[in-house]
Amino acid sequence: MLISPLMGLMVLLLLKEEQKFLIRAVSLVAAGISLGLAIFVFVAYDKSLGGLQFVEKYEMVKTFGIAYHVGVEGLNAPMLLLTGIVIFTGVLTMWELETRTKEFFIWILALVTGVFGVFMSYDMFMFFLFYEIAVVPMYILILVWGSTRKEYAAMKLTLYLMAGSGFIIPGILMLYAASGLNTFNMLALHGVHFSPWVQKAAFLLLFLGFGVLAAVWPFHTWSPVGHVAAPTAVSMLHAGVLMKLGSFAVLRVAMYLCPEGFHYWAQLMALLATVGIVYGVFVGLAQTDLKYVIGYSSVSHMGIVCLGLATGTVDGLNGSVFQMFAHGIMTALFFSSVGYIYDRTHTRDIHELGGFSKIMPVASAFFITAALCGAGVPGMASFWAELLVFIATVKVFPINGLLAIAALVVGALFALRVVQTTFFNTPNPKFEHFEDVSPFLGLPRMMLIATLVFFGIFPQTMVGMIKTAVIPFLQGM
Amino acid sequence: MGSCDPIFLSCFLIVALPLLSFAVIMIFTWRRHKLSLSISLTCSTIPLILAWSLFYKLHNAVTLAKPIITQVNWLVSDAVIVPFGFLLDPVSLLMLCIVATIAWLIQIYSIGYMEGDPGFARFYADLSLFGMSMLSLVSASGMLQLFISWELVGLASYLLIGFWYEKFSASEAGKKAFVVTRFGDIGFFMGLVFLTFFMKDLNIPGLGIFDINGAALTHKLSEAQVTLCALLIFCGVAGKSAQFPIHVWLPDAMEGPTPVSALLHSATMVAAGIYLITRLFPLFAASATAMSVVLVISTITLLLSSTIGMVAKDIKQVWAYSTVSQLGFMAMGLSAAALGGSTLFAGYYHLTTHAAFKALLFLCAGVFIHHFGTNDFFVMSKDGGRKLMIPMVTVTIGALALAGIFPFAGFFSKEAIMAQLWHLPNKLWVGLGLFGAFLTAYYTFRVIFVMLFPRKDDNPVWKEYYVREPGGHGHGAHDDDHDGHNGNHGVPWVMAFPLIVLAAFACVLGFMQTGLEKFLLGESHPHEMNYLLLVLAVGSALSGIGLAWLDWGSPAAKWQGFIRKVPVLENFFIQKWYMDHFWRWFLNTVIYGTFSRIFTYNDRRVVDGGVDAVAFSTIGSGRLLSFLQTAFVQLNLLFMVLVLAGVGLYLLMGR
Repeated sequence: MLISPLMGLMVLLLLKEEQKFLIRAVSLVAAGISLGLAIFVFVAYDKSLGGLQFVEKYEMVKTFGIAYHVGVEGLNAPMLLLTGIVIFTGVLTMWELETRTKEFFIWILALVTGVFGVFMSYDMFMFFLFYEIAVVPMYILILVWGSTRKEYAAMKLTLYLMAGSGFIIPGILMLYAASGLNTFNMLALHGVHFSPWVQKAAFLLLFLGFGVLAAVWPFHTWSPVGHVAAPTAVSMLHAGVLMKLGSFAVLRVAMYLCPEGFHYWAQLMALLATVGIVYGVFVGLAQTDLKYVIGYSSVSHMGIVCLGLATGTVDGLNGSVFQMFAHGIMTALFFSSVGYIYDRTHTRDIHELGGFSKIMPVASAFFITAALCGAGVPGMASFWAELLVFIATVKVFPINGLLAIAALVVGALFALRVVQTTFFNTPNPKFEHFEDVSPFLGLPRMMLIATLVFFGIFPQTMVGMIKTAVIPFLQGM
Repeated sequence: MGSCDPIFLSCFLIVALPLLSFAVIMIFTWRRHKLSLSISLTCSTIPLILAWSLFYKLHNAVTLAKPIITQVNWLVSDAVIVPFGFLLDPVSLLMLCIVATIAWLIQIYSIGYMEGDPGFARFYADLSLFGMSMLSLVSASGMLQLFISWELVGLASYLLIGFWYEKFSASEAGKKAFVVTRFGDIGFFMGLVFLTFFMKDLNIPGLGIFDINGAALTHKLSEAQVTLCALLIFCGVAGKSAQFPIHVWLPDAMEGPTPVSALLHSATMVAAGIYLITRLFPLFAASATAMSVVLVISTITLLLSSTIGMVAKDIKQVWAYSTVSQLGFMAMGLSAAALGGSTLFAGYYHLTTHAAFKALLFLCAGVFIHHFGTNDFFVMSKDGGRKLMIPMVTVTIGALALAGIFPFAGFFSKEAIMAQLWHLPNKLWVGLGLFGAFLTAYYTFRVIFVMLFPRKDDNPVWKEYYVREPGGHGHGAHDDDHDGHNGNHGVPWVMAFPLIVLAAFACVLGFMQTGLEKFLLGESHPHEMNYLLLVLAVGSALSGIGLAWLDWGSPAAKWQGFIRKVPVLENFFIQKWYMDHFWRWFLNTVIYGTFSRIFTYNDRRVVDGGVDAVAFSTIGSGRLLSFLQTAFVQLNLLFMVLVLAGVGLYLLMGR
């Protein structure tokens, strides 16, 4: 799975810029193989057995105990599926890209390689390496193919994430040094009982570092700006997958290795998450740029992920990982619909677009579906995720839970306001000549909706999978 | 259990077929009107047949205490286990039949009403979605499934109310309905969650409140806990069933096509709240405090909506407010029954009869609106509304039922509620109830008399009342297509047929009281006839009609409501008790004006500004320090020496 985007990347390097169709086809095949493998892993994973499956392990640098160690379990299988779906639909979404096609797909495949690597790695060093591989292409992708204040956004995003890494490295090295085992293997490090002081410090460093990528309040401001500037597929990957890297890393590294640190800081996590949830919807309410709106809704939804993590209960973690998945698909759908509309009209101002449903009913339907999913309508995957998180939270942190639930009302208002101003009312005559989405370009969006609805109707397929990992995970804490 | 169980299978089909029809129409056939119509009709007829056959098969087999439950696990997390299944007892069986019937009739009716609308297929898809969620709501076996269907009902109503989405008022009304009911739903959800935890604390086996029958065990909780949960859940009820102070969405919901109004305001959406109270009756009955609050709120609702209904000029508005007031009646009946230790029969019975006659009234209104292209019943009157025979007769039957005149359905069910109120120690409630009945009769017959007895064309009153608003009100662009050929068609058969069926229901339901009571409760209480109450109730209804006759009906009437004599009060009613103003103010000032503005400002200036400040100060300090790099070797050397000297000094001093 890791190999296929890499292979695609290599092939792309050999192709010429002129062979646009071939470039697209190769990237699509590469993404398709990843998606196929991700689905295979998700389906073939033996839930009754649980634990780590499909393990591959090679020693790399013996001196420091670095190894290429990948595997799949209930926690990362949904994430791999998410990445597979988003990259596949992302490539399809960018099918019409004309400028520097080759470089674009090369970078995007590099980014995905990194993402897959992070989700699968069980070696802390490789984990961090892949993490950086995933983050850096973002800078170039936004800088070259972006829009609206792209230099500022790209610079801001990168500096922010680098600052995050500045927290992560000391955290990782601290654990590495304190263990005395001379290994970066997470499974081995998990067995070590670190002193409380080390755990507290390392957890804080790692949480803040990865939290930046997960857009934890108040480190979220890079994300709306970044979304706005990034081209469509990059926004999709960025919000859909990259932000999940952060929360996944908090779970996989910080909580896994420093359980006591986690218990110490759980209050803080819950507080920041709740502020993020409430804050995101209120700020989103005042935005007029479609992508800003989505950006702030992401802040709010990622708050729900963090809140679920902070509860440290089976329900909370189930909901949290489910929410990572559901939000990833949902945001990808959001951005791909907005991207389509922006490509045609060159505006994202919700007032200017008014009445868009008449002009592009299908494109609008995609966005409206995403918005309703964001408002937490049942029948969509995110409803279940939010449900689990909220029930778990009310039990552990009643006040935070109630605040977060109350924010749902504003969340609904927020989603419907955007839908109403953008897609209903009288159409703007300026845009009347535009055509609706063709079936081919509608395909990726349909795939995303199908995924959302499938897991909305059969949540057990996902929760059952996550649960196999969450229960031993929490028993180990 | 599983698919082999015929009951589970038929319930599953009842719920799944409309969903299937929604999906198929939305994805594949939304450009093909005829095909979509046939899909949707098929998928609503089969559930109708199944529902009635279930009713026929099981009506002797189930009782309230011994329901049939078939379910499978939908989601199994750790503490959260969500079953998916069906619970069949008299309450849900009857409701299932009502919903299936009304939904089916409305689909038939809409063939005529929505003919030629560009969104015809979409309309049927939304109707199917609505039918599915409502059917699943009434038959849900677990509270969470009920909550999910509850939310889906909200979603479908959002889509249906805002159906003519090009119109600002329609999309605004849809949004309002969704957000306001969501406001209540949050309370509902919190109540559910709390209830689960309280039940868990007591180690009550099973799934706690996620199982509906768990409600019967709630008397084991402490008084405060039950009150909290009951009140929170009542928030949800108030949202859906439009109780004060969050009733404001319902009158605006008239922006949707009229069949939608009929569907939403008769058997389905608004009934969901009352249905929930009957479903959780043991829980509500366990808390006297909560029930008193419900009683007060429902009484306020009743009076508020009746008084507004007296001054509205839009026929759908009048019916909408009458719905709100009748819902108030039902809630009063249920809460009075809970306080008096009686049964849920009265409120539920009124729900049943109301479903029939209110759907009838709305559908009649729809015929008039369709025909005349206006919602204003004064205009209808002048343009010859009484010439449409079938709707005029049926609307009168509906109005008589609504006013509670013997022998129509409303008489019996209202009587049952009055009897419950009568048993309360404080006679104030029954007095207010009677006053509400009086007002109901008055505003209902105001409409009927105006429509039946129009003044002559040159009468001066038309100056005040005959105002054709350009573009219509609530019906919009759709009407303009029809104006051209309105003259030559009467009432289409597909529209008349549901009217007649419903009118028949409104006539006969009243005489089924004993049978229904037996079916619902397993036994029928002997009726001690309270003649004083009977006389009072009929008297107040008749005096309402009489006053309406004096004000609007008789040839000498001046077409001025008696309320005109108190202009302050009239204005207060016309402004809808300023409730809309209050919420608008709340939204604009508190939500947008305060929180949203402050947070946004904070985000731009403080959080983001802080980051940018760090970045710029880095650049700034870089500039500052770059003075050191002046490329003058001498200067560099000087700095080096100075720094070294400083370090040296520090080391020396440190010793």
